[in-house]
Amino acid sequence: MVEVGDKLVGYATDDEVRKRGASGGLVTAVLAAALEKGMVESVVVLKHIDEYEAVPIITDDVEEVLASTGSMHSVPVNLAKYAVDRKVAMPGKPCDIKAVIEQSKRNMIDLDNTYLVGLNCGGTMPPVLTKQMLIEMYDIDPEDVVGEDIEKGKLIYRTKDGNEKAISIEELEEAGFGRRKNCQYCQLKIPTNSDLACGNWGVIGDLAGSATFCEVMNEKGKKLIENAVEAGRIEVAPASDKAIAIREKVNGVMVKMGETTQEKVFTQMPDEERLPYYREALADCIDCGGCKLACPVCSCGDDAKCTLFHSLGDNYKMSMFHLVRLLHLSDSCIGCGQCTDVCPVDIPITRIQMSFSIPVQTKLNYKPGMNADEKPPFFEVMIK
Amino acid sequence: MIGNVYQTVCPGCNIGCGLYIREDEEGALSIDFMKSSPANEGKLCRFGIKLPEHYSKAVSMVDGAEASIEDAVKAASDKLKGADVTMLNVGNTTSEESLAFKAIADTLGCVVNTGMGVYSELPSECHPTVGVGMSLSDIESAKRIALFIDPYIQYPLVIRRILKAKENGASVVSVGWRNIHLADENKFIDPDKYESELGLDSESVIIADVHPNADPGWVKRMLNLALKTGAKIIFMKPFVNATGVDLLCKGTGQKGLKEIMDGINEGSIKTLVTLDSDLVELMPNSDEAAETLKKLDNLIVIASRDSAVNEIANVVIAAEPQYAKKGSFMNVEGQLLKNNGSGTAGIDALSSLNQNLGGEAMESASLHNKVLEGIIEKITKPKYKELACEVMDIGSMEGAKGNLVFLYNPFMWFDQKDDNDFVMVNLNMAKRLALRKGAMINLTSEGGSVSMRYKVEDMPDGLILTAKKIPAVTEWVATVSTEVV
Amino acid sequence: MADNNDWEPKIVAFCCNWCSYGGADTAGMGRFQQPASTRVIRVMCSGRIDPLHVYNAFLEGADAVLVTGCHLGDCHYVNGNEKTELKYQFLEEMVKQLGLEPERLYLNWISASEGERFANFINDVTAKVKEIGPSPLKPEGVS
Repeated sequence: MVEVGDKLVGYATDDEVRKRGASGGLVTAVLAAALEKGMVESVVVLKHIDEYEAVPIITDDVEEVLASTGSMHSVPVNLAKYAVDRKVAMPGKPCDIKAVIEQSKRNMIDLDNTYLVGLNCGGTMPPVLTKQMLIEMYDIDPEDVVGEDIEKGKLIYRTKDGNEKAISIEELEEAGFGRRKNCQYCQLKIPTNSDLACGNWGVIGDLAGSATFCEVMNEKGKKLIENAVEAGRIEVAPASDKAIAIREKVNGVMVKMGETTQEKVFTQMPDEERLPYYREALADCIDCGGCKLACPVCSCGDDAKCTLFHSLGDNYKMSMFHLVRLLHLSDSCIGCGQCTDVCPVDIPITRIQMSFSIPVQTKLNYKPGMNADEKPPFFEVMIK
Repeated sequence: MIGNVYQTVCPGCNIGCGLYIREDEEGALSIDFMKSSPANEGKLCRFGIKLPEHYSKAVSMVDGAEASIEDAVKAASDKLKGADVTMLNVGNTTSEESLAFKAIADTLGCVVNTGMGVYSELPSECHPTVGVGMSLSDIESAKRIALFIDPYIQYPLVIRRILKAKENGASVVSVGWRNIHLADENKFIDPDKYESELGLDSESVIIADVHPNADPGWVKRMLNLALKTGAKIIFMKPFVNATGVDLLCKGTGQKGLKEIMDGINEGSIKTLVTLDSDLVELMPNSDEAAETLKKLDNLIVIASRDSAVNEIANVVIAAEPQYAKKGSFMNVEGQLLKNNGSGTAGIDALSSLNQNLGGEAMESASLHNKVLEGIIEKITKPKYKELACEVMDIGSMEGAKGNLVFLYNPFMWFDQKDDNDFVMVNLNMAKRLALRKGAMINLTSEGGSVSMRYKVEDMPDGLILTAKKIPAVTEWVATVSTEVV
Repeated sequence: MADNNDWEPKIVAFCCNWCSYGGADTAGMGRFQQPASTRVIRVMCSGRIDPLHVYNAFLEGADAVLVTGCHLGDCHYVNGNEKTELKYQFLEEMVKQLGLEPERLYLNWISASEGERFANFINDVTAKVKEIGPSPLKPEGVS
């Protein structure tokens, strides 16, 4: 029997699913089983478009779940908003899961109805820049790529002709490519905030590449696994001590890298330089509202304080929209990078927000997106 | 899949930003960012973000009553047979539909007008340069950039290209109206001095725009500037497929929007067929435009949206919304961008209309092949000679008079609501008029007067800029008198 | 901008109806000397003061903003001022990170009888703001 806290290695029983999945197809099989056994009404999955593009779809069709793509490093979407108002199971990177938990605190998502299958994540990459990187650094035609992997700090691309090429992530990032900036300082690599934390770290020996390591984080995770085993969709066995140690080691290295980068990125500017810097950084803003729309933590809707007290006709030296958002997200920003991704004038809005959020979250000892029972400190205003 | 997801192109201008339109199980629309899109990396401007408000479902109508699309097509063919027809397609729909529309024009023996009157004033060897001047990524590698647009208000997705160029060491001079943040220099100088004072050479890029109200003298001056300095030039355009329509569908005897409206008023145009080109939205004064269109004997509208003109049309042939169409659009850099939708109601309706009129049937795949042929054939760029031109005078104004200039943008062309009901003036003018916070500024011209909020910007004295349609003013640049209310 | 000695800063003071507004009143009636720099905005409770009101004051040209209310425990609405305090923590942290001088933002509890305390507070703030000069967020054309 499976217990909360168990660390397992498993794979999909269906050969086709196992082969196509990123590492043994366990996640796909668990999601499919949850849907076919009626645990949920629908599943959020990524529909494959090409190697650099996939679009989230919500489906109640088991076949569509089985046909969905494995994890893709160059599809940096956040899935949280697709779970709003649904009884759903979804896979998610640590930041997807963080966002779902923050949404649940804002009463947009009912966690009892939402099954979260977390995926280990070393970071994601912006697709257009990735194609440019393949041409400039790898000398590979982006159209020829058939697979990608991250192993031992190296990013590996496999091509149609059966060749592969690996370059260290450090080297890529020094050249301005590689992972998105926020991923470089992210410090949650194993989604311990999910119901079931899955990934290929710690999958060793014969099973390497064809099985998934998963940790049962809570009762819902236990239900997911038991249900999939019962449905005959997966086989699992306890992970060996060696496997567990290797997973821990990989995680430790990645988290350390994140911490070091965070220290480097967020060195405090002198007091008198900060206001001119922020003003200059936000000066090109065209008021599109994309950062608000893309933010997986925001839940106010169209009419929010940040928009209603802001007007294009304002003659202000800083935008009220940004000031209000910087404040409102100071305790809750999860650093997912969606706002920077969609900013049409390339404002590093995630970094700016995090430079406000990190001090506040550190001071209040609050980690957004980790524990659903821990309310955002700003909410205390309403609760008392 | 629950609901639908369409991969499509933003109709706001012809940069051609890729995005997804998501239709949920109740039919409500939302957007998803398409981060792999080369034109925009998923990024969208204010208009793109608000696209769900822009789209609406059109309904086929005959003489004001709801009808089936077949009946609408039949009614349209009855009205068109033997009539002297004027056709208009500014480029809000696919190249395939545009070609089908062109085929109908051929069957009827008339031309398709694109509404860009300026083209008919330009020698044909200039058209390809105005059509596809260069690629957007060329902006990033330029050493100097001269801006004749206000990218913040008009074409925001150009900003990131300019910022990249600046990172690569480019300098930027803005010759627009307002001093803009990303420019190293903002110049408001006599057009005769552009060549000597802007410091342009063969490593430079000129960013200008053409639109239905563009001044031909101005466009010629831009072309001359590019020719003499050797700089590359790109003309931004307001409609997603403006470039495609220009390359594929243009015939001789082009009419601009104003000429068409004048023709209707004079009685020389009696029958008008429009393809996703709503003159009520496009003309500066919507009410006046609607009154003019009512003078037509027959107004036949082929529409993918439920827009204002549908109400006054004799026949509305309703196609699927733009995002659901099967087809392609050509953007400002000559890239053919495809929708992934499967809707062919528009093409099928145009095909049966053509058949009813005695032409051939058409279908999507063969039209697409023709698009590919037509575009590859025409995209080569012949050289042009220096053009003789006059340019309008935009001198500064004294006292309570001001020159009102429109900053054309997608909200204006589609007459879509935005938070932009203000005009921009400089601090001097605000002081001269003793404008206090919250005061309204009253603008009066020959066409009437209107009260607007105001915003103080760093810009030349005597200028008044607006990003919103002001019915009282219908010229690109107009003198208005101002007072405080 | 005029020389700092001639220059009179603009200070926006948000005062609650029951305590600090009374304090301001008492200061006036007691004829305590205070500069003409203050613009008082009366709210029913300091709990009503949203951080965005404070931003708005700065963006409209205030050189300093004062958030004032009843002493903790004396709130007319049970615990409105506790909410103020919580919101203020965030606001303070944010204004600090933004790089606006800390001398431009204050939270102070003043009762209706503390006229002298109110006047002294205003005098102190005015002196400090005069030292650091006009706010960098003051819009063009606003003195």
